[in-house]
Amino acid sequence: MSANDDQADVERVLAGDISAFEGIVRRWQGPLINLAYRFCRDRGRAEEMAQEAFLRAFRALGQWRKDAVFSTWLFALATNLYRSELRRIPARMLSLTVSLDDIPEPRDARASDGGVEDQDRDLAVRRAVGALPAKYRETLILFYFHDMDITSTARSLGLPEGTVKARLFRGREILRSKLPQLLAVPRLKEA
Amino acid sequence: MRRLTGHDEGEINRILSREDEILPSSGFAVSVMDAVRREAAAPPPIPFPWKRALPGLVVGGFVLAMVFVTVVAVSVQLIRSATSGHFSISLPPWLTPILGLQRNLEIAAGWTVLALLVTFVSVKLSMRLGSRRA
Repeated sequence: MSANDDQADVERVLAGDISAFEGIVRRWQGPLINLAYRFCRDRGRAEEMAQEAFLRAFRALGQWRKDAVFSTWLFALATNLYRSELRRIPARMLSLTVSLDDIPEPRDARASDGGVEDQDRDLAVRRAVGALPAKYRETLILFYFHDMDITSTARSLGLPEGTVKARLFRGREILRSKLPQLLAVPRLKEA
Repeated sequence: MRRLTGHDEGEINRILSREDEILPSSGFAVSVMDAVRREAAAPPPIPFPWKRALPGLVVGGFVLAMVFVTVVAVSVQLIRSATSGHFSISLPPWLTPILGLQRNLEIAAGWTVLALLVTFVSVKLSMRLGSRRA
């Protein structure tokens, strides 16, 4: 994915060639849908949210100042939309939104093979992330979406890096406190 | 709360970094471009007619300010009446010539309070019903 391609397409769109926007859509559809999916855990809804993000980007294309890379601007716009969309939807409509106390522990944390089933553990942790307070959930989602890059996460959220680090720390601590048995077990299978 | 150890953090990182990627459905880009073309073809939104609305807004603002002042004045007098035991309300002297509501003001105040109560209850009720349906 080239920043130059993005810039060229944006300039063509702003000059009146709407079809050039398709290049932007095709380059960024995967990341935007996947980011939306991590927020809502519903494929259909993720595509709707990504489509709305592209539409908003199209409307606001003239506001992109080229001091930031196009993708950074696009992700910040999409993140804002996804956050507000999810806060607008009643909590009970979201499959990921469960109370932290309702998340079951995996069947046996010290199973005979030396560890819990990976899938159970991963599912429990992801559901726990979905049940975190919004500010920690959003920060964790974006941090892992951006391959654990604090700078990109901070830019997407429009927050200082220090705030992002603090929210990551606090979010992980809540996860740890809610899933103590789960995370305390060393993964013997990998040892 | 137990402190987060390096092992815990590593585990959380490992689990949350390992997300399955989903692929866009085949018609997604086409669907987005259709929406973009519709958006581009739509006529620009009609701007709000500020010039025409301005006189109405000014009058409305003035009326609202008068109502607010009246309500505050009446409320203060009601409170004073309640504490003194003698029920009597009169508008500020500069307001009475404008509104001419001196007569039967007690009755008007009663109706106003009743109307506000009914409005408050109906708004609360409809919001409650609306949130249940959402």
